[in-house]
Amino acid sequence: MDFVLKHYQEGKFDTQKAIKRFNEAHGIVQKPRRRVLPWVSGIVAAAAAVVLCVLLFRDNDQQIQLMASAEVQEFVLPDGSEVTLTPGSRLTYNEKSPRNTHLEGKAFFEVARDEAVPFEITADGAFVRVLGTKFMVDAGSSVKEVYVTEGKVLFAKSSDVEGVILTKDMQATLSQSDQLPVIAVEADVNTIAWQRGSFIFDMTPLKEVLKTLSEHYKVSFAATDLDKQLSGEFYAEDLDLIISLIESALDVHIIKR
Amino acid sequence: MVFAAQDNSSFDDLFRYNYRPLCLYALHYLQDVDLAEDVVQESYAALWEKLQEGTHVLNRKSYLYMMVRNRCLDHLRKKGIPTESLKPYDTYGIIDDDDAQERSQTEARLWTAIDSLPEKCREVFILSKRDGLKYEEIAEELGLSVNTVRNQISKALKVLKEGVHKLYTFFFA
Repeated sequence: MDFVLKHYQEGKFDTQKAIKRFNEAHGIVQKPRRRVLPWVSGIVAAAAAVVLCVLLFRDNDQQIQLMASAEVQEFVLPDGSEVTLTPGSRLTYNEKSPRNTHLEGKAFFEVARDEAVPFEITADGAFVRVLGTKFMVDAGSSVKEVYVTEGKVLFAKSSDVEGVILTKDMQATLSQSDQLPVIAVEADVNTIAWQRGSFIFDMTPLKEVLKTLSEHYKVSFAATDLDKQLSGEFYAEDLDLIISLIESALDVHIIKR
Repeated sequence: MVFAAQDNSSFDDLFRYNYRPLCLYALHYLQDVDLAEDVVQESYAALWEKLQEGTHVLNRKSYLYMMVRNRCLDHLRKKGIPTESLKPYDTYGIIDDDDAQERSQTEARLWTAIDSLPEKCREVFILSKRDGLKYEEIAEELGLSVNTVRNQISKALKVLKEGVHKLYTFFFA
């Protein structure tokens, strides 16, 4: 530690700068590298970027639509609730009742508590009602999914039928043929890795680790020793770094395809 | 399953994963940050040319370490440093080359962790730990209270400890 501290200078040993310098010196034109999890860092920038509100008019009531285009975007709703939308997802609400929302796609909610007015989310074939809590809703595919990180959530097919109550660290899915959501025996903490910004593994076989990573980063992997187990928390900014850390931790070799 | 040799990593990946560790490694010889960066750049350039020529380099990573070491030694020799003193050093004295190679990985991570400290926190921390200023001196220089300085330093230490722990501690079976 002392050695590093003695020599530390801000902005030095910067790999990105070095790559640029190298490429310039060798006439290499860098292919635009697909940014890994562009949305995670997007969350940070997005606080100031609530630009994408599209206003639609219907019967003099303003229908407000929030949409995330290329990056994950975070919005603060009029009631103080925060919603983080994944790219391509849309949240719609009426200006007069901002706690009645409609979701297309996937979003993480941090709902401001209001005992008098429950916060409701409808989606095509799913209904969620809460008082104040943190949870994710994935209405992006035919199987709807809810993951709760804090508080209590009612998850049902629609507002007028029976549903299930989910609490902290519970996860449930609802397929079109089901009447009642099915609660997962063991919630997968990495369901909300995109929102938390990190992956958590606990004695997870490498096979599962790579499956999780490939779902999030949309790349596939091949590796040796798929049965070795990994534990630890990995920050989601840089897939290459995660891969290299896993490689050195487990003494395996992983390639991206 | 596809089994790939270590050698198949792309040049891009070699750069990304090893640049900072190689810089730290070179720093053990050169004790000069800018010089270390130059030497590492030159070494990558040399490897690049080799690969362009179609030369098969079996273990590119160790080859890079070797080239960095040779270039550091060349540099020191040119400065007239006697051969028997051409050794890597840390803060407390001579270490051996294997040690320097091995440590460079962890040191690179620590460097990254310091980089990621909040700006004010890093400034205070560096003034204290690198420049050896007393809390009172830092407080005066930055117009802060001594208490704030103390808090920032303990915050930095905590973040570095946790950061390094979270990212780099693995338990595996």
